Amino acid sequence: MTEISSELFLDGNAAASLLQEIFVPEITSAQILCDACGFAGSVGSLRVYAASMGAVLRCTRCDGVLMRAAHTPHGRWLEMTGARHLRF
Amino acid sequence: MTVIEASATPPRRLAWQLAEVREIAVETPRVKSLLLHVPAWQGHLPGQHVDIRLTAEDGYQAQHSYSIASPPEDELLALTVELVDDGEVSPYLIDNVRAGDQFELRGPIGGYFVWTIATEGPLCLIAGGSGIAPLAAMLRHRARRKDRTPALLVYSSRTLEDIIYREELETMAQRDSNLRLVNTLTRKQPEGWTGYRRRIDKAMLAEVAFPPEQDPKIFICGPTPLVEDASRFLVELGHPFPTIKTERFGPTGGLAS
Repeated sequence: MTEISSELFLDGNAAASLLQEIFVPEITSAQILCDACGFAGSVGSLRVYAASMGAVLRCTRCDGVLMRAAHTPHGRWLEMTGARHLRF
Repeated sequence: MTVIEASATPPRRLAWQLAEVREIAVETPRVKSLLLHVPAWQGHLPGQHVDIRLTAEDGYQAQHSYSIASPPEDELLALTVELVDDGEVSPYLIDNVRAGDQFELRGPIGGYFVWTIATEGPLCLIAGGSGIAPLAAMLRHRARRKDRTPALLVYSSRTLEDIIYREELETMAQRDSNLRLVNTLTRKQPEGWTGYRRRIDKAMLAEVAFPPEQDPKIFICGPTPLVEDASRFLVELGHPFPTIKTERFGPTGGLAS
């Protein structure tokens, strides 16, 4: 297995602006439940892989993808297939 | 007519607003603090950040996130900016901005990496370089409110000259026996330096940090490798993962936007 360089990822806070453009309540302290492994934690504690147009937020326990957010010329996109729920 | 007062500020959408630079403080050879007047500022919590947006004459926009370094008690909003040589925003903020200049800002953002005096438990802060900024907001808030929650700052810098807010932090610790300041200088130490001379490691944290039994609230901010190491050491020392909050700067410094 290749080890992912620790230089590559950031914390949930790094995606806060992008997500806060979509959500009304404060998003980084919301609790998110991983559908794959059942881990529950704050969105702010997730691992964020950020690119210029968006971010992928992964579970800190199993590395499953919980949120994908992107800001494109055609609108804002949010995919949450890997998350069972968000609790505010 | 009945007037119903809202008991709490309703959530609001992030909106860009104009900030005006009132003062500029030189912190180190590569770091400056900008003190901003933001007319419609609604207040913030220590640890939150803002987005800065710069627009060039041709319409090109560059955006970056900066932690707020000032406590909620202060009138001006302080951002501490470190020069990133290939950055789009920091060279402008460090080299070109003058008092009276304006730029766009939005925030405050992020409710996760936040500490106020209402939070119980000792406060354990670990910083590398300009990662001190959001932690300084917490310490300044604690000091302004004359709060005596036991607090510790472990701060890693390259040289003595690179320690941001050095005099202020020393004065704060001299006046307050519940605040411990632990500096480590990783690259060069002045003659007679009695502090640590290495990167933050497990032995150092075992020596200085609050033990897990005291249930400290832990905040780590700095370059990704430092944050990664410090959080791993603390977990190995028995601190439960959810008590450790981290903010990684990534490889180049500064929050990604």
